[in-house]
Amino acid sequence: MILASAGEDFFRAILQGTPPGTVFALVALGFVLTYKTSGVFNLAFGAQAYISAALYFQAKNEWGWHAAPALLLAVFVVAPLIGLILERVIFRSLRTASAVAKLVVAIGLNVALPAIFELVVGYEPVAGRTPTGIVSGGASVFYDPFGVYPFSRDELTQMTVALAGVLLLGALFRYTSIGLAMRAVVESPRMTEMAGIRADWVSAFAWALSSAFAGMAGVLIAPRFNTLIAPDFFNLVVVAMAAAAIGRLVSLPRALVGGLALGWFTAVFNTFVPDWAETFTWLEPFSDNLTPAIPFVALFGILVLWPEIRRARDVPDPMAGVDPPPPVPANHARHPYLTIGVRAFALCFLILFGWVAFTQADIRWLFLITQAVILSTIYLSITVITGFAGQISLCQGTFAAIGAFTVFQMADRWDTSVLLAAIVGALIACGVGVLVSIPVLRLAGVWLAIATLAFAYFFDSVVVKFSWVGGGDTSLLQGTRVPRPELGPWDFGDDKSFLVLAVIVLIIMSFFVIQLREGTIGRTLRVLRGSEVAAESIGISSAQARIAAFAVSAFIAGLGGAMLSMHQENVNYSNNFAPATALFWLVLVVSLSARTVEGAIQAGAAFSLFPPVILQGTFLGWILRSEDRIPGLFPISPKWRFVLFGLASIQFARHPEGLLEFGKRRSTARLDARLFEKYPLAQRSGPQGLAAEDPAPKVADDKLEADS
Amino acid sequence: MMNSQGGLYGRELVIGEHLDDELFNNQATSLEVIAEEDSLAVFVATLLASGFESLDEARVPAYNWGAHAAISNGLMSNFPVPAPSCPNCTVRHIPYMAQIAGATRVAALGYGISENSKVCANTYAASIDLYSGDIGAETVYVNDEIAFGVPNGVGPQVTEMIEAGVDFIASCLDLNAMKTIAQELVRQGVRDEITMHHPNSYDHNFVAEAGDIFDGDLVSVTFAPFETSGLAAVDDFLEWTERHGGPVAEQTIFGWVNADLFVQGLKAAGPEFDRESLIEATNTHLTSYSADGLVSPIDWSRQHLAPTAEDRLTNGPSQECVAMVWIQGGAFELVAESDSPFLCWDNSTPDWAEPEPTKFG
Repeated sequence: MILASAGEDFFRAILQGTPPGTVFALVALGFVLTYKTSGVFNLAFGAQAYISAALYFQAKNEWGWHAAPALLLAVFVVAPLIGLILERVIFRSLRTASAVAKLVVAIGLNVALPAIFELVVGYEPVAGRTPTGIVSGGASVFYDPFGVYPFSRDELTQMTVALAGVLLLGALFRYTSIGLAMRAVVESPRMTEMAGIRADWVSAFAWALSSAFAGMAGVLIAPRFNTLIAPDFFNLVVVAMAAAAIGRLVSLPRALVGGLALGWFTAVFNTFVPDWAETFTWLEPFSDNLTPAIPFVALFGILVLWPEIRRARDVPDPMAGVDPPPPVPANHARHPYLTIGVRAFALCFLILFGWVAFTQADIRWLFLITQAVILSTIYLSITVITGFAGQISLCQGTFAAIGAFTVFQMADRWDTSVLLAAIVGALIACGVGVLVSIPVLRLAGVWLAIATLAFAYFFDSVVVKFSWVGGGDTSLLQGTRVPRPELGPWDFGDDKSFLVLAVIVLIIMSFFVIQLREGTIGRTLRVLRGSEVAAESIGISSAQARIAAFAVSAFIAGLGGAMLSMHQENVNYSNNFAPATALFWLVLVVSLSARTVEGAIQAGAAFSLFPPVILQGTFLGWILRSEDRIPGLFPISPKWRFVLFGLASIQFARHPEGLLEFGKRRSTARLDARLFEKYPLAQRSGPQGLAAEDPAPKVADDKLEADS
Repeated sequence: MMNSQGGLYGRELVIGEHLDDELFNNQATSLEVIAEEDSLAVFVATLLASGFESLDEARVPAYNWGAHAAISNGLMSNFPVPAPSCPNCTVRHIPYMAQIAGATRVAALGYGISENSKVCANTYAASIDLYSGDIGAETVYVNDEIAFGVPNGVGPQVTEMIEAGVDFIASCLDLNAMKTIAQELVRQGVRDEITMHHPNSYDHNFVAEAGDIFDGDLVSVTFAPFETSGLAAVDDFLEWTERHGGPVAEQTIFGWVNADLFVQGLKAAGPEFDRESLIEATNTHLTSYSADGLVSPIDWSRQHLAPTAEDRLTNGPSQECVAMVWIQGGAFELVAESDSPFLCWDNSTPDWAEPEPTKFG
């Protein structure tokens, strides 16, 4: 009797998990389709799906269109058009770029696309305005095939499309020449062209197809959200990654099964574990905390335990060797006098800027400048992990949050010195960084990035809730307040002295990072970035180097997070450290320059100062000598920040050194040529003479000309 | 409305600057207001309230919707409506709703990701159990771990509630989740058997678009609902909102009350008002502020601090007052009499009592 009841419960749970499982499967299928046909781990899939869903909703509900033309516009016109534009403008030139580079571009697009759409169409999400499906009565008419649990029309439509998608796309890849050609173009566009196939056309078709599928998935999924907003689609993408990972991004049937399995497991867990927890109390923590985190735990588990993924390595285009190697940083290739000149200019600029900041800036600008300084410190952590080690970590915000929460907890509970707490927080973040890095040691670039994203979401959905982290009940009445520090006779309570402290921390961390880059660890990381196999063949341990990079990076982020909480006198977790915010950090740093300390500082300044200085028209007003002369189009919507920096990340694959570094290299080369013609690079002596022996500058110059 | 009557002290009140605050920039925007020193006060409608403390330090009066109790708590120049409340104090309006719904077995639901929502769900469960003997209902299901946005669906949770015999759901969820749960109740065939309490579904468009899916549910409202009759403040609000083409909604009425509180503070401060006198006058003279009956009275001399479960009266309201509406046919109907929209309980004693239909103003 009990067994029969449990069996019925289990069967019902399977049926209850099927609709959400189908949603996960649809997204996972779209992921796999994009990856198979373009080689891109498309984190912007959710953004593409959101655009079609919102456009369909806008056309149908706001413009009063019928469902068919709205669907035609959203899924069969706009979605493929977006795909074609992305392919032509962005991904065509990235075909031979590394998977990690494409991932960064996709993250940038994920940031930029929803903002572009909302600005162009004027779509504004309204709470409670529920999107409707493509069939009438989609949410209100039910069918109960087994007499246990009914499905709605919308859900049956989703299931049908998911199943049909697997069958039709499977047939396309297996039985048609275009399917074969699409896979071939992903492997090597150049070799494909040698076989007489027009790789451009095939690639364009592939992007149009995958984008249309994203659009269809978006429209079908939308009724599941009672308010249509872009972040929900991105969260869904993160959840569905677990399903896509089961199929190693290449198997459509496995992605379908993976999505369904995720839905089934969640439903079974929610059906049985709460009951069991009443009998077996050791299950309570899992029952209480794991429900919202199941997808992220599953994703992390799949990535670190699934043998096929652990063994997976990025397979570069066999003909990628014809591409030139990345250029060396500008400061390695320029004339020594120019270096001295640049440094002198930088010093003068900083002294002048510092003088203006300390004497002229009001509290708002002091706040923004201090924030820029602290963010620069945090961004140095990205310099280490991404710029030096070549790894994409999407949990830097989490490490920063650990530092911030440690300061809050130690100050709140034990009234500890916040500076001491900041160091403890950085050390804890460092420890967590090591713990996170160990299970993901064997993962290749993209998978490592996704594992860190899963960890960030796990922290966000589970760990922050613990009272010993986020404050629990006490935070309801007191918030997560953090005091400003004191150190002996020095009180950093006022804004100017705290800015001094922030600058000191930034200088120390910058010096530390430069020493790291020039030291054994930095050189080891550089070698590993070049070729892990070659590095290991000469006795370099990639595991140790990776752990070291994670540890250092997490330490810096933790310290920066602690400083940020002191600066704002509050942790402000949702504002500062949520996973989506940290994604934007990465986009910003790699867009500008991930390999240099200056890049991190410029990114910090850009994040904090770009909106008030540029978008609000302050700079223009200063040039025009009057706020009254600022054109009416100012202030520009803050959404443009996402658009501009999101699109700037597109340049990452073309210029992995970053836009600013690229610009610096180009202007340095010009200055070098004009000022020091009599002293060619090869004749230079001194520390930069090393660069003269390096063949890379020549390549860099050649590439520069080509770029120009 | 004030300006149409000649302004205040012969001067027009104007919104000097509208800062479209970006999510990550709340604190910087607040500092911008402070630095420019050309605003008497600010009206804040941000999703996050990270600038409140800076505004308070600079003694800039900040009027806002009381959705950020943790940050507003203790800030003497911060004027949230409703005033900061006690998150873990038991209440009587939820047991009363269960009682009038004829419920005997109650479920309490909250989001796992929000501490506020979690504590709210557990407080509702405790409230039901505290007054169990008086209302004839008990808590049989508590889930304070609902996933935000319910992306995984709520099928298993609803099944569990059905198996527990739940006939009333006390919810600390937003209107999106309420719709998802209602749809799941329909799917599992028990929508007519379970009454839901909605904390923030007093949205006419939302309920109208939802058709009959919420029929028979109860919504708690922290202001006088628009269905109230004979209350001039409601009529004024509806008239002026329509004139300006704004939506008649929960957010709008809190904006209206914020503006009214500002004006009443200016009146109390006198013609030579400045920031300091505005704060001082509001905190000294507005000891029973109700926006002419739109909200339950607030004593600004002591309600900047949230009351606690141990001491509800020192900083808390003297009465627990909530307006309640039934949802019927995609519209709202007052539970209390149409001219006395609030149902109130005396806070000097935690004992159970029937509520007193009340009007303010």
